Amino acid sequence: MALRSREKQTLFLLIVGLLSWVVPGAGHLILKEKERAVIIFLTILLTFCVGIYVGSIGVINLYGATPWYVVGAQVMNSPMVLVLGRMTADNAYPVYGWPNEIGQIYTSTAGLLNLLCIVNAVYLAYLQGIKPARG
Amino acid sequence: MESIFVIASFTVPENIGANPQSMFWLLPLVAAIAIIYKATKLPTIKAANFIKETSILFGSIIVFIVIAALTLHAVAWLITG
Repeated sequence: MALRSREKQTLFLLIVGLLSWVVPGAGHLILKEKERAVIIFLTILLTFCVGIYVGSIGVINLYGATPWYVVGAQVMNSPMVLVLGRMTADNAYPVYGWPNEIGQIYTSTAGLLNLLCIVNAVYLAYLQGIKPARG
Repeated sequence: MESIFVIASFTVPENIGANPQSMFWLLPLVAAIAIIYKATKLPTIKAANFIKETSILFGSIIVFIVIAALTLHAVAWLITG
């Protein structure tokens, strides 16, 4: 019985983490942290949008010469970045120089901030899960 | 029709030069970092407290960056000047 509830808890943590990745702030929303969810969603979306506005969607260059750590950070925004990456494959939207730098910095920072939020949402879910056992 | 122009603006990069004013691009980024950090760290989110805490963190980061920039500038000036 305890094993079953532990499995359920692990599944719940996975769902929270996955939801946080798919839509920034969604993990916090299902944990009934509405204010946090709205703040996270708006801030990450805005930061990402500023990045692709300044550098164009060409800054999402998954198959080009972009370093792997930048691509990894960008993908942490949402799986939607992979769709954008398909659109910009074969250097369809070339961008160079300062706009490229700023665009990459903004989009990858937004992704890293979302990673922080994913970890935080999973941790909050874990704390909510152990609360009844302790209380 | 208007929305198509808005979406199209995301397909062409902006014309940004590498000048001293371009350093101001760090301000929105620092604001985003301060907001997200405080959104994950504060035990409860109350508007007034959240804005105060975020502003303090935003100011702290900017002050630290300015001090770091001045220090590096001084070191560069000492070595090369």
